[in-house]
Amino acid sequence: MKKVLALFLVSILLLTACSSGSKDKQASGESKDTKEITVWAWDPNFNIKAMNLAKEAYKSENPDLKIKVVENAQADIVQKLNTSLSSGTTKGLPNIVLIEDYRAQSFLKAYPDMFQELTGSFNPEDFAQYKMAPTSLDGKNYGLPFDTGVTGLYVRTDYLEKAGYKVADLQNIDWNKYIEIGKKVKAATGKVMLTQDPKDLGLIRMMIQSSGAWYLKKDGVTPDLAGNAALKEAFKTYKEILDADLVKPVSDWSQFVAGFNSGDVATVPTGNWITPSIKSEASQSGKWAVVPMPKQSGIASSVNASNLGGSSWYVLNVPGKEKAVDFLAKTFGSNVDFYQTLNKEIGAIGTYKPAAEGEAYKASDDFFGGQKIITDFANWTEQIPQVNYGLHTYAIEDILAVGMQDYLKGKDLDKVLEDAQKQAEEQIK
Amino acid sequence: MITAKVNQNQALKTAKSGRKIRAKNTAIGWSFVTIASLMICLFYFYPMVQALILSFQSGTGANLTFTGLDNYARLLKDPTFLTTVKNTVIYLVIQVPIMIILALFLSVLLNNKTLKYKGLFRTAIFLPCVTSLVAYSVIFKYLFGQDGIINIMLMKLSLISEPIQWLTDPFWAKIAIIVAITWRWTGYNMIFYLSALQNVDESIYEAAKIDGASSIQQFFKITIPMLKPIILFTSITSTIGTLQLFDEVMNITKGGPGNATMTISQYIYNLSFKYTPDFGYAATVSYAIVIMIVIFSIIQFKVAGDKNE
Amino acid sequence: MSKRIFSYTVLIIASIVSIFPFLWMIVSSTNKSVDVTKGRLLPGTHFIENLQNLLNTVDLIPALINSTKISIITTVLAMLIASLAGYGFEIFKSRTKDFLFNFLLLSMMIPFAALMVPLFRMFGTISQSVPIIGIDTKTAVILPTVTTAFLIFFFRQSTKMFPKEILEAGRIDGLTELGVFFRIYVPTMKTTYAAAAIITFMASWNSYLWPLVILQSPENQTIPLLISNLGSSYSPDFGMIMTAIVIATLPAALIFFIMQKHFVAGMMGSVK
Repeated sequence: MKKVLALFLVSILLLTACSSGSKDKQASGESKDTKEITVWAWDPNFNIKAMNLAKEAYKSENPDLKIKVVENAQADIVQKLNTSLSSGTTKGLPNIVLIEDYRAQSFLKAYPDMFQELTGSFNPEDFAQYKMAPTSLDGKNYGLPFDTGVTGLYVRTDYLEKAGYKVADLQNIDWNKYIEIGKKVKAATGKVMLTQDPKDLGLIRMMIQSSGAWYLKKDGVTPDLAGNAALKEAFKTYKEILDADLVKPVSDWSQFVAGFNSGDVATVPTGNWITPSIKSEASQSGKWAVVPMPKQSGIASSVNASNLGGSSWYVLNVPGKEKAVDFLAKTFGSNVDFYQTLNKEIGAIGTYKPAAEGEAYKASDDFFGGQKIITDFANWTEQIPQVNYGLHTYAIEDILAVGMQDYLKGKDLDKVLEDAQKQAEEQIK
Repeated sequence: MITAKVNQNQALKTAKSGRKIRAKNTAIGWSFVTIASLMICLFYFYPMVQALILSFQSGTGANLTFTGLDNYARLLKDPTFLTTVKNTVIYLVIQVPIMIILALFLSVLLNNKTLKYKGLFRTAIFLPCVTSLVAYSVIFKYLFGQDGIINIMLMKLSLISEPIQWLTDPFWAKIAIIVAITWRWTGYNMIFYLSALQNVDESIYEAAKIDGASSIQQFFKITIPMLKPIILFTSITSTIGTLQLFDEVMNITKGGPGNATMTISQYIYNLSFKYTPDFGYAATVSYAIVIMIVIFSIIQFKVAGDKNE
Repeated sequence: MSKRIFSYTVLIIASIVSIFPFLWMIVSSTNKSVDVTKGRLLPGTHFIENLQNLLNTVDLIPALINSTKISIITTVLAMLIASLAGYGFEIFKSRTKDFLFNFLLLSMMIPFAALMVPLFRMFGTISQSVPIIGIDTKTAVILPTVTTAFLIFFFRQSTKMFPKEILEAGRIDGLTELGVFFRIYVPTMKTTYAAAAIITFMASWNSYLWPLVILQSPENQTIPLLISNLGSSYSPDFGMIMTAIVIATLPAALIFFIMQKHFVAGMMGSVK
């Protein structure tokens, strides 16, 4: 009896201890509009490091402001924002949050009053144009563009040589040429060209954006699947690549990384943020190069540049927003030196154009045989066609992923896209 | 006459005090169950009523408007929802029986009195359900990868000539999910059966042996009937678990390829958090699960009840 | 004899299949990230390095403390509330109570995904008046998970076999009803409590979705949230992640190993 009662008392005590602990935090939280702002971001090696560097850079400007950088997985951030914002509860929300460009419009539209307008606190002309559509709504800027998802084709020069190709042969090619090269590489080395995760249509996204097309029409709401020439071509290319047996299927990120780290694939078509992962296998130093992304064949508007992922900073409409805006404006919004540090320290390529003039952007990288990859990526960034990612990227992608499976099994492509169109119209209202 | 009256009086008194005791007992009895009942009403039923109200609304994020029964009409025409129902039922019909039979079988083996190292076996087989879902999904993704250990072993044993696309082929991905759930929950159910078996009187088996019943006959004629209530209980909890299946699919295949492994719970999650959120429609889908669970539970009770007669 | 060999063979295979992923996880915690992704099966020499990386990148110790606090409080409160109710429903049986009991059982059928948003809204409202039990507090993590119909059911089942005469004897000795419960029932039902405590502790220790939604600040982070964050990187360090997973799993596995005898005994009561 005594034991149980004691246990009960202890647990009540602990409970109050926990609560009072959070009460203290609450007290400091209330004063945060004057002294402290919070930032949420994902990826400790990239976004979090970038934010911490920004914090350092801002110290000289305003030593009094305390900036707390909190790491959360991207899916977790999305979920927390949705739960909080939809219930109208701003408690516990950060001042600044990183949002992926594909999702930005959906947040801006779903929670119209919750984001702080940034128009005027930075010069949109200074940033890569393709970042503007996702980060603004009704002509007002809400997001400060951060990293570029500019894509490149990472290639294993040693494998290519065995098949009789030089890096120069892969400059500005189209996907048909890519498949042709792939077949020869496979014959010569036995290696496949790339890994693909059937759940992730990133390759399709890269292909269609290079032609200035997207899943939605320019209004960002109407599905544009049936009769979308770029999308149709992308589906065809995808199937051809699979049919030519150039793909090693993977089911998640780690297997994707393992694919190139273990030398199983000859190329990696993806965003520049993969560079650190490629370089993590030091024994492959000197065997890699980066060439422009292939363009779509038969699509006149297609260029050898595209985008995958990339995100921007947003300020939430909670106490402390002025401080948060000032902090962003003076670091990511205008500080050329800061971008140099960013690039040197973590290899991050921002979308801030004046930064490209700096030293760090011109450095050559021995891992890539002395190629100035940052300069190349910065050049390609400016060519990325601007598209409106709109509201429903992932909802449509899930519909298309099913369509893709049907197409691979032999269903007529036009029919696949028509059905997807119908389903998307039904689902998106 | 007098005695009779006294008796009557006494009877009245006892009746009165009996009623008092009963009333007091009722009050005490209720006080025992109050906290739990209030907590469940507050944290399960109240939000469920809120969800019901939500299910008549639609819109993105905070912009919800009342749309009446539109969501329910949309549900019946939604191919993704229908696929998730189909997938979930496939998991249910294949996985729950396999797991229950396997768990029964293992528990019978472990119930052997003369068996050594029981504790070790028990811990080993129970261990999978101790793992956190995060850990377990990471492990399974590796095991079932194209170059994963399962493929490597099957190839070494020459059972297959080329790697199985465990997680990227619609058929094999479903198998992988079924294997994963079975791996995780067989030990858990086994413990229930094992405990129940230890209550079964040894002499019944002795008698059966004397009558010349084989082990297999003993299993079907004695073990299964004796364990029927607990089998019913575990099959209902497993059914509920499978109909709410989320962790495994979310973390191992993300529902892919296509929607080949997606479950209803995962669709609710996607509608709320992955896509531009529509909490109204998500709530509608969740009511579909509740209705399915109620129906399946009734069926299971009925099936078990019929066999009784 | 052949039957014996058969039993052992099957059990050994089942054990290996069950344990294999754990062994591999432990092996991987001693390997470099690159080797983990290649599926290396041999132990390496990088455990200390992985552990150091882990301690440097994340606040492992505070997260462990948070998880421990939350799991212990949840378990203790859950035991108390559920056993009181299970006892009450069985000992003071009545038709209305049985109806209530069945009604409460319905709550097992509600998928959590459906409750999440309304529950969060509820705590949002609470936050405005009583912030100490509102969003981003451990109390908010604990409260909704502390009472489950499953546990009440479990205690009620076990109480069915309880010799009621002892209770009567206690009453005659002048104990109050609460006294009877704490002095007679609780001590006799030790094993049932052990089994229930293990189930509750593990569920709480591993719980992910609700803490993820309700906790905001990193000081309150629990172990599953921490592991999930580790995997979010563009270039994750898998050796380090595996080390974190080993550390997260060992406590739960050890508790089961130590308490398994009581556990099985406790489950026995509930399945009679």
